[in-house]
Amino acid sequence: MNSFIVKGLALAGVLVIGTLVVIKQMHIDLSDPINMITFLGAIAIAALTFGVGAKYMAQMKSDTASGELAEENWDGIGEYKNELPAGWAYSFLGTMIWAVWYFFWGYPLNAYSEIGEYNQEVKNYNKKFEAIHKNASPEVLKEMGESIFLVQCAPCHGETGDGLSGKAQDFSKRFTKEQVLAVIKNGQHKLNFPLGAMPAGMAQGKDAQAVAKYVANGLKGTAPTAWTTCAGCHGTDGKGNGGTAPSLAGYNLPLVKHVLANGKTGIIGHMPAFPGRFTPVQEKALAAYLGTLKQ
Amino acid sequence: MFHWLEKNPFLFAVGVFIVIAFAGLIEILPSFTNAARPIKGLKPYTVLQLAGKEVYKKDNCIACHSQLIRPFKSETDRYGKYSLSGEYAYDRPFLWGSKRTGPDLHRVGNYRTPDWHANHMWNPKSVVPASIMPAYKHQFKNIADLETAYAEAVTVKKVFHTPYGNDIQPSKAAFEKYYKTTALPEALKIAKAMKNKDVLAMVQQGKIPEIVALIAYLERLK
Amino acid sequence: MQSNAALEYDYSVAKLYMWTTVIFGIVGMTIGVLIASQLAFPELNYLFGEYGTFSRLRPMHTNVVIYGFTVSGIMVSFYYSAQRVLKVSLAELPLINLLAKIGFFAYLIAATFMVISLAMGITASKEYAQMEWPLDIAIVIYWVIWGVVMFGLIGARREKSLYISLWYYIACFLGVAMLYLFNNMEVPTYFLSGGLGAWYHSVSMYAGTNDALVQWWWGHNAVAFVFTVPIIAIIYYFLPKESGQAVYSYKLSLLSFWGLMFVYLWAGGHHLLWSTVPDWMQTMGSVFSVVLILPSWGSAINMLLTMKGEWNQLTENPLIKFMVLASTFYMLSTLEGPIQAVKSVNAIAHFTDWIPGHVHDGVLGWVAFMIFAAVMHASTRVFKREIYSKSLLEAQFWIQTTGVVLYFTSMWIAGITQGMMWRAVDEYGNLMYSFIDTVSVLHPYYTIRAIGGLLYLIGMLMFAYNFFMTATAGRKLEQEPQFRSPMA
Ligand code: HEC
Ligand code: HEC
Ligand code: HEC
Ligand code: HEM
Ligand code: HEM
Ligand SMILES: [Ca+2]
Ligand SMILES: [Ca+2]
Ligand SMILES: [Cu+2]
Repeated sequence: MNSFIVKGLALAGVLVIGTLVVIKQMHIDLSDPINMITFLGAIAIAALTFGVGAKYMAQMKSDTASGELAEENWDGIGEYKNELPAGWAYSFLGTMIWAVWYFFWGYPLNAYSEIGEYNQEVKNYNKKFEAIHKNASPEVLKEMGESIFLVQCAPCHGETGDGLSGKAQDFSKRFTKEQVLAVIKNGQHKLNFPLGAMPAGMAQGKDAQAVAKYVANGLKGTAPTAWTTCAGCHGTDGKGNGGTAPSLAGYNLPLVKHVLANGKTGIIGHMPAFPGRFTPVQEKALAAYLGTLKQ
Repeated sequence: MFHWLEKNPFLFAVGVFIVIAFAGLIEILPSFTNAARPIKGLKPYTVLQLAGKEVYKKDNCIACHSQLIRPFKSETDRYGKYSLSGEYAYDRPFLWGSKRTGPDLHRVGNYRTPDWHANHMWNPKSVVPASIMPAYKHQFKNIADLETAYAEAVTVKKVFHTPYGNDIQPSKAAFEKYYKTTALPEALKIAKAMKNKDVLAMVQQGKIPEIVALIAYLERLK
Repeated sequence: MQSNAALEYDYSVAKLYMWTTVIFGIVGMTIGVLIASQLAFPELNYLFGEYGTFSRLRPMHTNVVIYGFTVSGIMVSFYYSAQRVLKVSLAELPLINLLAKIGFFAYLIAATFMVISLAMGITASKEYAQMEWPLDIAIVIYWVIWGVVMFGLIGARREKSLYISLWYYIACFLGVAMLYLFNNMEVPTYFLSGGLGAWYHSVSMYAGTNDALVQWWWGHNAVAFVFTVPIIAIIYYFLPKESGQAVYSYKLSLLSFWGLMFVYLWAGGHHLLWSTVPDWMQTMGSVFSVVLILPSWGSAINMLLTMKGEWNQLTENPLIKFMVLASTFYMLSTLEGPIQAVKSVNAIAHFTDWIPGHVHDGVLGWVAFMIFAAVMHASTRVFKREIYSKSLLEAQFWIQTTGVVLYFTSMWIAGITQGMMWRAVDEYGNLMYSFIDTVSVLHPYYTIRAIGGLLYLIGMLMFAYNFFMTATAGRKLEQEPQFRSPMA
């Protein structure tokens, strides 16, 4: 029997310690009150159940049944007129007192609102990370960008940003030749840059081919003559002319911002917009991260 | 103490009934006087979307997916704004779910596209390599039951005054007209965006596969 | 007072339900093992085409184990023990007896159509209330029949005072009737649309948040009035009867019963914490859940104290083992549930595997264990035979106990880990894990759960064999045993 109690409590201990080991491996922060209360709750479940269970097991071994029998008897089953176990009765009372506290003070009936609590949570969050966000170094931005990317963008662009074999933009390459040609041929208007729409037909035939090749190549080598037309808007270096047109050279903040705000439809397909989903720091972080993915 | 009651089965049963019915009276009834009101601008589901909701029910996505974003920063960061009661005003039944083996879908229409869904429903591993979600290839072949969805629209319009237009009428002819003039064009748009030739061909022949209805429904979740 | 020999009880209906208990048990748990394995090894989704995906099979599992296995088990124990504690035989009431038999066949037909319709994907989508309106009607008829039988037997009773088990059967009948009716209010679409679409389709009377409220008023109390109340009825008869011990305390029985009745119904809100239902209702759900611990533990403690001083019975009689461990698992799930109902804890627990873990503490460790013990005890009297194999029963106990422990420990760790990972932010305040990270980390636990489930299923098959052999080949008994069930 004793071995049974030991086994029971050992199980409770193993369970709690096992949980602790696993969540620590996942870098869970137990100082977060919700995490802490949950963990304490888990300990209470294991300890109380196995502890109290073991107590009654022990009584099976050591105690004997006694008491005054009721006169009734059902199919041979009798019934004692024993008093309530005191521990049970007091605990019952205890939970009722707790209930009153919870209902009127813990989550006060007239004052508590879960949306109010949410607003408070957001406020505390902003306060906590304000400093880090204000002075984020490029390295920090890249790391931030990566974690946002993995949560929000990876399902389409792939965990490495490879675009999942053509299902979305492959970030290791700003453009393929086809993409550039398509824009030259059709123009494009969605991203909402200060310069407005890109008109269709800015270059024709051989010129278009040459420019597309140049742009797809990452603007390396000598620019074809037709590039001057493009440079008028995109800048000679193709970096987007101070944010008035998209950068063709690489991913920078204005481009990422405009894509997030407006979505993008091109020959690969359609990307939904993420309006209001990211803070300015997070947008910066995403741009920084996408910048590192290039080649 | 209560021995007399235990000798009186009828009174005993009445006693039990009163004790258990009590909570319902206080908890459930008052909330009905304040019936769920739609938030501003909320439109009822189109018939195609309703048919998609039936596919969602039939293939029981609710086994793994919730549609309830709780007011925690971690959830609003992941899925978008927390859910509001008025957003569910036309949800019969509600589809909040009770288990998230997969992510919440209440706002999935905001951040996924028809062609992404098409890839994902055909083979989830093609977009999320570690996914444990089953592939639902049969949805690309089975034809969606728009007639039942239409019947549902007619019913909720009649019984609950859900604000549908005059094109929702209790007759086969009205359904057929609606199918041609409203449902098919809506389906065609989705099918084109899905970039799947077989599906597009089916819709062009006037048949709407389940996947098109389902995606119409998923796109509606915003 | 005691004249057991004088009455010849009629067990024909109990016998019929014994067979369905065993069959639905095997089917439901086999599906359980399959769906558990699918989460660990997703290729298993493609064994039966569109009918074999996790999602299509999951409601099949829950409905078959609840409405098949559990309800059958409850009916076995009712049709076996109610006659005995009321001291009236069904054979004395031919009309009631006939009704009971009709009820069984109505049940069989409804259950068959339930399985077929779920396989086809016909579902109202509300958990534990998936069946469409034609089946609802069949179920209501069935339930009314059961009520008539119960009150018929009570009306004809010779034992003036109702035994505790009957309190609980009455509550089960009333509770399910009330809740099932309200939650299944739905409008068939065929008739109002001029005959359009599928005839069996319907739409819920309630929308959105209201629908959620009614659903979990039912959903939580389905737990109360199917997994708890009638199972307590079972333990109050079978444990004292098998052990020959008198129930420890009438007062404790009484307070636990009325406490449970009053408190349970308020607790449904704990399924809707942090949702869009009004805050005060959510808090009410938390509050009453915690108060519910003691009325729940009351019955378990009453049973454990009934076994005071009977250690040797525990070591020697596997049926007693099943029932004592069942009480303990009942205590586990009725402490775990209330703690998961505390708002802060629910913020993590809700939507995770900790919930199915909690569920199976209750259903595997408590509900099914009690049903196994009751069916075995009853079969010695019903078939007038010795239990075919004690060692098989003993082995079943240990294998299944290992299974439950693997199930709940793995899901407990998986759930807590996943819930905390969903919340986790990195040092810069961004979400630390993508959703798929939180899925991949569960693979080992899903595998352990599947193994635990497989062990449990093996135990179920051992039980089925033992039961079948008892019914057909156990040594004949000359005299009905008074208490302890004889076993070879
Ligand atoms: C009149 C100004 C203007 C000229 C000239 C111009 N562009 Fe653009 N370009 C834009 C604007 C504005 C956009 C953003 C359009 C949008 O909102 O999607 C753009 C977009 C693009 C894009 C798509 C960028 C993306 O991320 O989707 C490519 C590729 C491009 N231009 C290439 C060229 C090339 C090559 C030329 C010369 C042949 C050229 N552009 C000439 C204004 C111009
Ligand atoms: C539902 C799928 C999807 C999601 C989610 C998604 N994208 Fe995209 N994205 C695309 C597709 C498809 C394209 C290509 C559009 C085209 O050019 O045809 C694209 C293009 C882009 C581009 C423009 C690339 C270029 O060279 O012009 C940027 C920048 C981008 N995505 C960033 C992001 C970021 C950052 C996120 C996450 C916050 C994200 N995307 C989430 C589908 C998605
Ligand atoms: C076995 C569990 C399971 C079932 C059943 C299931 N899913 Fe999923 N679902 C997942 C998992 C896990 C993910 C996350 C990985 C991924 O994207 O594939 C997911 C992701 C998704 C996503 C992407 C959401 C996002 O934010 O990336 C959509 C949309 C989706 N599922 C729709 C459905 C639909 C519709 C059904 C029913 C026809 C369904 N799922 C059935 C497990 C499931
Ligand atoms: C004091 C008693 C109990 C309380 C207060 C309680 C509380 C809870 C809570 C808080 C949840 C989780 C809700 C969520 O976040 O999704 C839950 C789920 C559940 N519990 Fe319990 N529980 C109790 C006893 C039991 C018992 C004894 C059983 C079974 C034998 C059981 C079966 C279930 C089931 C099936 C669910 C899942 C419901 C769903 O589908 O979401 N519970 N319970
Ligand atoms: C061999 C034994 C069993 C195994 C392996 C098993 C497995 C499972 C699995 C994998 C799930 C789905 C969990 C999820 O969605 O993540 C589940 C759900 C469920 N099972 Fe079982 N099960 C078994 C036996 C039983 C029995 C005997 C009962 C009832 C008497 C039962 C009742 C339930 C219920 C109520 C749910 C729904 C829980 C919820 O929605 O939260 N199971 N089971
Ligand atoms: Ca559930
Ligand atoms: Ca129903
Ligand atoms: Cu509950």
